[in-house]
Amino acid sequence: MDILGLFKHADTMLDAAKRLESAGYAFTVFSPVPLVHEIDHAFGERKSYIKYFTFFGGLSGFFTGTLLALGTAALYVLPRGGRPIFFITPTLIISYETTILFGVGITLLSFFLFAGLPSFKKDVPSPEAAIDSFGLLVDDIREDEFVKLEKILKESGADEVKRVEEE
Amino acid sequence: MANQKSSVGIRGMEIKTLPKHDQSHISYREINEDILRFMTQTGPGYYIVLGALFLLTILLYALPWAYQIYTGQGVTGLNVPVFWGVYLVNFVFWVGVAHAGTLISAMLYITETPWRRAIARGAETMTLFALVIVTFFVFIHMGRPWNFYWSFPYPNTRQLWTSFQSPLMFDVFAIGTYFTSSVIFLYFGMIPDLASLRQSSTGWRKSLYRVMSLGWRGTDRQWHMHGKACMFFSSFIMPLVVSVHSIVSWDFALSVVPGYSKTVFAPYFVTGALLSGFAGVLLMLTVIRWFFPIMKKYVTAYHFDRIGIIILVLSLTWSYCTLMEVVTGLYANTSQELEHLKFKLLTPPYSYLFVLMIFSNTLVPLSLMIRKIRSCEIGMFFICIFVLIGMWLERYLIVPNSLSRKFLPWMWHDYFPSWVEVSITVGAVCFFIFMFMAFIKIFPVVSLFEVKEDAGIPMKKGH
Repeated sequence: MDILGLFKHADTMLDAAKRLESAGYAFTVFSPVPLVHEIDHAFGERKSYIKYFTFFGGLSGFFTGTLLALGTAALYVLPRGGRPIFFITPTLIISYETTILFGVGITLLSFFLFAGLPSFKKDVPSPEAAIDSFGLLVDDIREDEFVKLEKILKESGADEVKRVEEE
Repeated sequence: MANQKSSVGIRGMEIKTLPKHDQSHISYREINEDILRFMTQTGPGYYIVLGALFLLTILLYALPWAYQIYTGQGVTGLNVPVFWGVYLVNFVFWVGVAHAGTLISAMLYITETPWRRAIARGAETMTLFALVIVTFFVFIHMGRPWNFYWSFPYPNTRQLWTSFQSPLMFDVFAIGTYFTSSVIFLYFGMIPDLASLRQSSTGWRKSLYRVMSLGWRGTDRQWHMHGKACMFFSSFIMPLVVSVHSIVSWDFALSVVPGYSKTVFAPYFVTGALLSGFAGVLLMLTVIRWFFPIMKKYVTAYHFDRIGIIILVLSLTWSYCTLMEVVTGLYANTSQELEHLKFKLLTPPYSYLFVLMIFSNTLVPLSLMIRKIRSCEIGMFFICIFVLIGMWLERYLIVPNSLSRKFLPWMWHDYFPSWVEVSITVGAVCFFIFMFMAFIKIFPVVSLFEVKEDAGIPMKKGH
C-alpha cells in the first residue's frame, strides 16, 4: 500500500518532504512543473550521469565521422584536381555534424535510461499531480504506518491525503 | 493590443514601456483546459481550410511533381549553364525558415529568457515542417528521387563513390543532423505535456498521449533528468543551427562561380536565415492569435515587441552583409564578377527585384524602431510578409542569377522558372500550412509545463 499527499503549494509539499525525511521515510515527489532548483535547495544537489553519456556520445560521433570520411577516401581513392586524398578540413566538417548527431542521440537514450522511460507499469498516482497539484508519495507502507504518515502530511499542509493501492 | 504603462526616463521625460511578460494570473488547470480546448474545439471552417489546403497540395505540388518525374526535368526552366533554379532557391529559403524555431528554443533556454516559453513549441513545430519541405525540395531537384541512396557511402558496382570533400555531402550530414535533432528536441519537450494532457483527454487522444508520453509520471527524478538533457540538447543545437546554414552557403561559396565565391556567405546566410526564421515565427504567431483569440493569453504584446527588436537587429546585420557582398565583388574588379554584378544590379527585371529585396529587408524593417509598430499585429504581419518575400528574392538573386552570367559570354543564358516550378513552389507553401494546421490540432502548440513555469510555482509563504 502507498500513501499520497496532494499539495496546492510547492513549499508546503517540501516542508512535508523534510518531515518525512527526518522520520526516516523514502518518498517520491510528483509535480506538473520542474522543481529542480527547489528540491536541490531543500535536499542538496543531486548527481546526474547524463553528462558522461553526452560526452562519450559526442566523442564516438566525432570518431565515426572521421572514420567514415577518411575510410571512404582510403577504400575508394578519388584523386581530384591535385587535392590531397586525406583532407582534414572537409573531414572535420563531417565529424562536427556526426559529433552533434551522436551526442544528441546518446543524450536522449541516457535520458530514457535514467528517467526510467518507457515504462507503462505505473501511472501518475493521482491525475491532479500531473495538472495542478504537487504530490508526495510514500510507497510500500504497512497499515499501522498509514495513520502516522497521514498525520505528518496533514500537519504539513496537505490538501488531500489518499491511500493508493498498488496495481 | 498593448497595455502600456509609463515610467520616468532620463531628463524627466515620460517613457511608455510595455508591461513585463507576466502570466501569474493564469492557473495551472486553466492552462491545461485552454490548450486542450484549443486542440479539440475545431469548427467546420477549420476543416474546410484544411481540406482546401490538402486539395491545393495535391493540385499544385504532388501532380506537377508527378508530371515532372514522368516527363523529365525538361519541363523545368533549367538549362545550360543554369542547373540550379527555383527548387534550390526554395531549399535555401526553407532551411532559413527552419532556423529560428530551434534557435528560439535552444538559445533562449540557455539564457533562461522567460518569454520564450509560450512560443518555443510553435517555433519548433515550424522548424520540423520547414525541414520536411526542405527534404522534399532536394528530392524534387534530384529528378530521379528513387536514386537518393546513391548519396550513401557504401560499396557498389557503379564505381561512383561518395566524396566527403564535396559541400553537397556536408549538406546531407548537416540537414540530416538538424532534422534528427529538431525532431528529438520537439518530441522530448512534449513528453511531460502529453502525460499531462492524457489526464484530461478522452478517446483516441488519451490512447495516443498515453503511448507517446512513454509512461512519464512527473517525478522529481524525471524532471531532474529532463532539465539536464534539455540543457545538453540546447548546447548542441545552438552551434548546429549556425553550422547548418554555413554549410548551405558553402554549397555556393566553395565554388569558383562569380557571384557564388564569396567569403562573406556563411555569416550572410546565417543572418538571412535567422531573419526569415524570426519573420516566419512572428507571422505564424500573428495568424494563430487572429484565429484563436484564446492564444492571446499566452502570446502577448511583449512577444511581438521582443521579436520585433530581434528582427530589426537581424535586418541591419543582413543589410551590412549585403553591402559587403556587393562591395567585395566590386573590389575584386574582375571582369566576370563585374558582369555578374551588372546583371544583378542594373539589368531589368533583376534590378527591380534587387530594389524590392532592399526595400523589403532593409527599409521596411526600419519601421520596427517605432514601438507602436512593434506592438501592432497588422503592422507586424505585413512586415513579416515583406521580409519573407525579400529573403526569397535574395536567394533567387544568388542561386540561378549567378549561373546566368557564368564566365564567358557564350555560356550566358537567362533562366525563367517554368509553370511546374512555380506551381511546386506555391504548392509547398500550402503543404507546409496543411501539415502545421493538422499538427497543432493533435499536439500542444504551447508548452504546458513551461507556461506553468511562467505563471510561477505556487508558494504559500511567497517566493
